[in-house]
Amino acid sequence: MDCKYVPSVCSYCGTGCGVLFEVIDGKIESTLPLKSHPVNQGKLCIKGWNLHEYINSYMRLKSPLIKENKKFETATWDEAITATAAGLDQVKQTYGPDAIGVLVSAKITNEENFLAQKFTRAAIGTNNVDHCARL
Amino acid sequence: MTIKRMAFVQELLKFMGLEGRLHLEWISSAEAQKYVEVVTGFTEKIRQMGPNPLRDMARKER
Amino acid sequence: MDIAIKTIINDVQRQLLENQVDIFLGYRKLDGHSIPHGYTRNNLEELSGLCISQNRYPLEKAATRLAQKHPNLKIGLIARDCNQRSLNVLYTWNQLNPDNIKTIGVNCCPSPVKDHGDCSYLEPRTTGPYKQEHGMDFNASPKDLVDTMTSQDRFERWMYEFNKCIKCYGCRNICPVCFCKECSLEHDGLVEPGVLPAEVPVFHLVRATHMAGRCIDCGLCEDTCPAHIPLRLLYREANEIVSGIFNFQPGQDMEKSPFSIIGDTIEAQLTPL
Repeated sequence: MDCKYVPSVCSYCGTGCGVLFEVIDGKIESTLPLKSHPVNQGKLCIKGWNLHEYINSYMRLKSPLIKENKKFETATWDEAITATAAGLDQVKQTYGPDAIGVLVSAKITNEENFLAQKFTRAAIGTNNVDHCARL
Repeated sequence: MTIKRMAFVQELLKFMGLEGRLHLEWISSAEAQKYVEVVTGFTEKIRQMGPNPLRDMARKER
Repeated sequence: MDIAIKTIINDVQRQLLENQVDIFLGYRKLDGHSIPHGYTRNNLEELSGLCISQNRYPLEKAATRLAQKHPNLKIGLIARDCNQRSLNVLYTWNQLNPDNIKTIGVNCCPSPVKDHGDCSYLEPRTTGPYKQEHGMDFNASPKDLVDTMTSQDRFERWMYEFNKCIKCYGCRNICPVCFCKECSLEHDGLVEPGVLPAEVPVFHLVRATHMAGRCIDCGLCEDTCPAHIPLRLLYREANEIVSGIFNFQPGQDMEKSPFSIIGDTIEAQLTPL
């Protein structure tokens, strides 16, 4: 039986409001705004107030899944990455590299964003890279 | 309990600027005549008050 | 200040070691932020970091949640005047057992009685000129409003304020005396869930009706509203109505709210409707 509060940053939009997770007995029970955070100063939007819901959701994936015969089967990371690469390669061979587009995100680091656009331009060979906020 | 809540809501609506549009009456199912009088009287009173300002706001938004 | 904190730390340590409390909810500093923390017998060495934060968090909500999971848990907490009032309200609504709660009182908003203020409410909020012209002043007095403004004017100004609402449910989530598992604000008969903007003024008036006889004017709702709606003023008015009709003020003592008692006879004057 213990109760502690863990400060963190909201993972939804690109603003990055400060949140406090209330952790009771090792499980996240609720979300509070971080009052001393310079970005949001103690205010949150409805998505921020409900961060604890998706963290504990039963619908979260626990392992990679591959669709075979219209059904999702569990797979290892290696199998999943190989299957993805094979799929993208097939699209590129059949329809050309411009048939593939990549969306980068505000929720990943700048370095990961750079990696994503480098992958799109160098590995796939297309200019179709844009941001998730434009979707 | 109803009287408590009605008294409260009436004052709250007055604070908001929507006063006079609430009415509470205890009528038994056997008192048909009284029911008719109360309803017609209240309808007339509301008609004289004019439309509720929320209706104009809803119209404007549409 | 240092001596006061040391006294509090010693008190808490003694209470934990003598089994007077099983967990003590206070604050600590982490990376420059003062955040709440639960001190137990298992982490006594952390007690040296106990502090009283300038930012107020609703510790009573954490206590309510802990009490639901462990009904016999003895909980201690740092209590300012507003915390004490919300604890009183929670006792009368059977959310907390007063025998299991121990409080350590600290100074709060400056008043003639206590002169050291630690609270974030040291200065009242300032209302800018646009808000004064089109909306509601944060610091207005409810009685003056009814006297000095016409019905039409009051209506327009409140509608201006309520139309800014983004329905974040922050006011309800952070309120220390809100504890309903099934909230009326999520009931599809009253407020359509998943629809923005919030249905004005239904959403706020429903909340104000629920705050009647319950709100203890701590001001956390107004602090946390991203749209700067003067909620404190609205709920203060609701409770002035209650105190006028029923002569009841929430949080002052252990009297039950008039809206929780069914079947009693009262004398209430309904002004001719």
